[in-house]
Amino acid sequence: MKNGFLFFFGLFFALALSWGALVLGTNAQLGDLSPHYDDLEGKSFPERPSGLAVRGQAVYQDLGCASCHTQQVRRADYGADQARGWGERQSVARDYVYQSRPLLGTSRVGPDLANYGVRAEEAGKSVADVLADLYNGSEGMPSYRFLFETRKIDGEPSAKALAGVAPAGYELVPTERAETLAAYLLSLKQTYAFAEAAPYEADDSKEGAH
Amino acid sequence: MTTTLHNPAAAEVSDIDRSARCSLSFLIFSALGWLVAGGVLALLNLIQAHSPSFLSECSWFSFGRLQALQETALIYGWSVNAGLAAGLWLLIRLGGAPIRGANYVGVGAIFWNLGLTLGLIGIAVGEMTSFSLLQLPRYIQPLMLVAFAVSSAPGVLAWTGRRAESTYATQWYVIAALFLFPWFFSAAQVMLLFAPVRGVLQNAVAAWYGQNVLSLLLAPLAIAVLYYIVPKIKGKVLPAYDFAIYGFWSLVLFGSWIGGRHLIGGPVPAWIPTVAIAAAAILLFHHIIVAINLRGVFSTEGSIVLKFAAAGFAAYLLTGIGDAVFSMRGPAAVTHFTYFEQAQLQLALASFSLLVFAALYYLAPRLFGAAWPSAGLIRAHYLASLIGFTVLIVSLAIAGWRQGVALNNPELSFAAIAAQSRPWLQVATAAQALLVLGNLALLVHFIRLMLGKASAESAAQFRQPQALEASAS
Repeated sequence: MKNGFLFFFGLFFALALSWGALVLGTNAQLGDLSPHYDDLEGKSFPERPSGLAVRGQAVYQDLGCASCHTQQVRRADYGADQARGWGERQSVARDYVYQSRPLLGTSRVGPDLANYGVRAEEAGKSVADVLADLYNGSEGMPSYRFLFETRKIDGEPSAKALAGVAPAGYELVPTERAETLAAYLLSLKQTYAFAEAAPYEADDSKEGAH
Repeated sequence: MTTTLHNPAAAEVSDIDRSARCSLSFLIFSALGWLVAGGVLALLNLIQAHSPSFLSECSWFSFGRLQALQETALIYGWSVNAGLAAGLWLLIRLGGAPIRGANYVGVGAIFWNLGLTLGLIGIAVGEMTSFSLLQLPRYIQPLMLVAFAVSSAPGVLAWTGRRAESTYATQWYVIAALFLFPWFFSAAQVMLLFAPVRGVLQNAVAAWYGQNVLSLLLAPLAIAVLYYIVPKIKGKVLPAYDFAIYGFWSLVLFGSWIGGRHLIGGPVPAWIPTVAIAAAAILLFHHIIVAINLRGVFSTEGSIVLKFAAAGFAAYLLTGIGDAVFSMRGPAAVTHFTYFEQAQLQLALASFSLLVFAALYYLAPRLFGAAWPSAGLIRAHYLASLIGFTVLIVSLAIAGWRQGVALNNPELSFAAIAAQSRPWLQVATAAQALLVLGNLALLVHFIRLMLGKASAESAAQFRQPQALEASAS
C-alpha cells in the first residue's frame, strides 16, 4: 500500500458507504414520515405529547430508565411482547415522530413501557398511584426517593402529598421532576392502528404460502 | 553479562522510544487510572443488577447513570487512552524515526482526560445522551473530538514521515483507527446531538456509531498490536501475510454494518437488521484471515506477553463468531434485550483489553529502559484477567440466556425472571471484583516501573534478541 492518497480515500469511502446506506438510506425512507390524519376522529396520530410529558421524558432520560426498560413492542410472532400484554400491535417508526429522542431502550430488566399509559388506565391507576410506585420501588426496581421531599406542613397540607408515609406534622411531596415523570409515563400510548403496523397476512388464494 | 542481566531491556531501547517516553507514559498512566475507576463503577453497577436497592438513595448512582458512567469510563478513559498509546508507539517504531510533535500527544491527552472527567460528572448529574457508547453530555463532545484529533496527529506524522516507503499491516490498522474515529465521531455528534435527525432514525445512527467504536476503533488497534508483537517475539515471518490486506479491507468495509443487529424486531426498516446479519457473516472472512496470519500467537512458548495476546486473540475470534451467530433472528429472539448482549460487549472489550495489556507489557520496559519490577505481579494480573474475564462473560451469558428464555414465556413474572438470573449475576460480580484487583496490580506495577526501581527478576519475561528488530517489518 504505497499510495497514501488512495489508502486514505479507501478508508473514507468505506465508511461513507455504510454511513450512506444506513443513515442516508434510512433518512430517505423515514425522513419525511408524517403523522397520520384520521378523518373520522378529526385529529392526527400519534398525538403530540403535552408539555409536562416532554419535560418528563427528559427526567426519564437523565435517570437512565432506558437502561432497564424498553419502549418498543415487537410483532406477535417474535418474542412474547404482545402475549405479555405490552401492546396489541408492533411499534412502528411513526409512533416516534414527535419524540425529540426516542428511548427505544436496549435491555429488559423491567417490563416494556411503550404502552404504560394504556395499562395504567386499564388498572385504574391515578397519578398518585404512579408516584407511589416510584417512591416504593419493587423487588426488581429500586425506589426513587430522591424524587420526593419530606417537608414540614406549613398551613394547609399539600394536595399532592403521598398518604401515610411522613411523620406527624410533615408531609411527603413529589418534586416537580417526579410529577413530570409520572405525567410522561401516563402519556405512553401506542394504540392507534396505523396501516403499516398491521401484521402481514398472506393472500388467501395462496394459503400456506409465505 | 551482568549489565544485560540488570537491565535486559536497555539494549532494546532506542532514541525512537525515548523520544516518546513522556507523552506515552502520560497516556498509559491515565488509561490505567480509568481502567481501575471504571472497573469499580462496573462493580457497583453489577451489584445493583442483583440487589436493586444498593445505592438507590443516591441520585448520582442510579442504575442507569452508573451504567453510563462505567461504560464511558472504560471506553473513553481506558480504551481510547491505552489504544492511542499503543497505536502511536507502533507507528513511530515502524516509522523508524523519533516521534514528531510529541507535545501534541500530551496536550491532546490532557484535554481529553479533562473533558472526560467533566463529562462523567455531567452523566452523574443526569446529562447523558442515552445513546449506548455515546453517553457523554452534548457540550463536552466537540472538545473530545478536537482533543483526540490533536493527540493522534503525531501518529499521522509518523506515517507520512516513515523511513520505508512500503507499509506494514500494523500501520494500516492503526492509521485506520486514528482516521476513522474522528470521521464517525463527528458524524454521530452532528446527527444525534447538534442537528438531531428525526425519530427512530436516531436509533439507527446510534447503532451505527456504537458498532463503529467496537469495529473501527478498538478492533483495529488491538489487531495492530498482534501484527507487531507476534512476528517480533517469535522471530518468524507471518504465514500467508499476502492475505493480510484482504483481512484489513474486509474489516473496514463490513465492520460498521453490523450495528443494526441491536435493532432487530424494532420499529425501524427491517432491512437494517437483515443487512447486519449478512455483514456479520461476511465479516468472518476478516476473522479467518487474521486467524491464519496470527495463529502463531497460540504457541506462547512461555512468553507472558504472548499469553495475554493469545487470550485476547481467542476472545477476538469468539466475538466475531458470536456476532455472526447471535445476530440471527432465531438466537436473537432469546438474547435480545438481555444480559447476553452485555456478555457480548464484555467479550469485545475483553479482547481489546487483553491485547492492549500484551502491548503494554511489551512496550513499557522499552519506553523506560527498565524491566518490569516484578514477574509475580505480571503473573497475578494475567491470572486475574484470564479467570475474571472468563467467569464474567460466561456468567453474564448464562444469566442472559435464562433471562431471555424466561422473557419469552409470558407466564413468568419479572420477579421470577430476576430470581433465575440473580445467582449468575452474583458470580459475575465476584469476577468483576477479581478484574479490578488484577488491574489495580497493573496500575501499581506501572507506577513502580515509572518511578524506576528496576530489578533483574523479570528478565526472563522478555526474550528480546536485538536481531529481531529488522525482521518483522
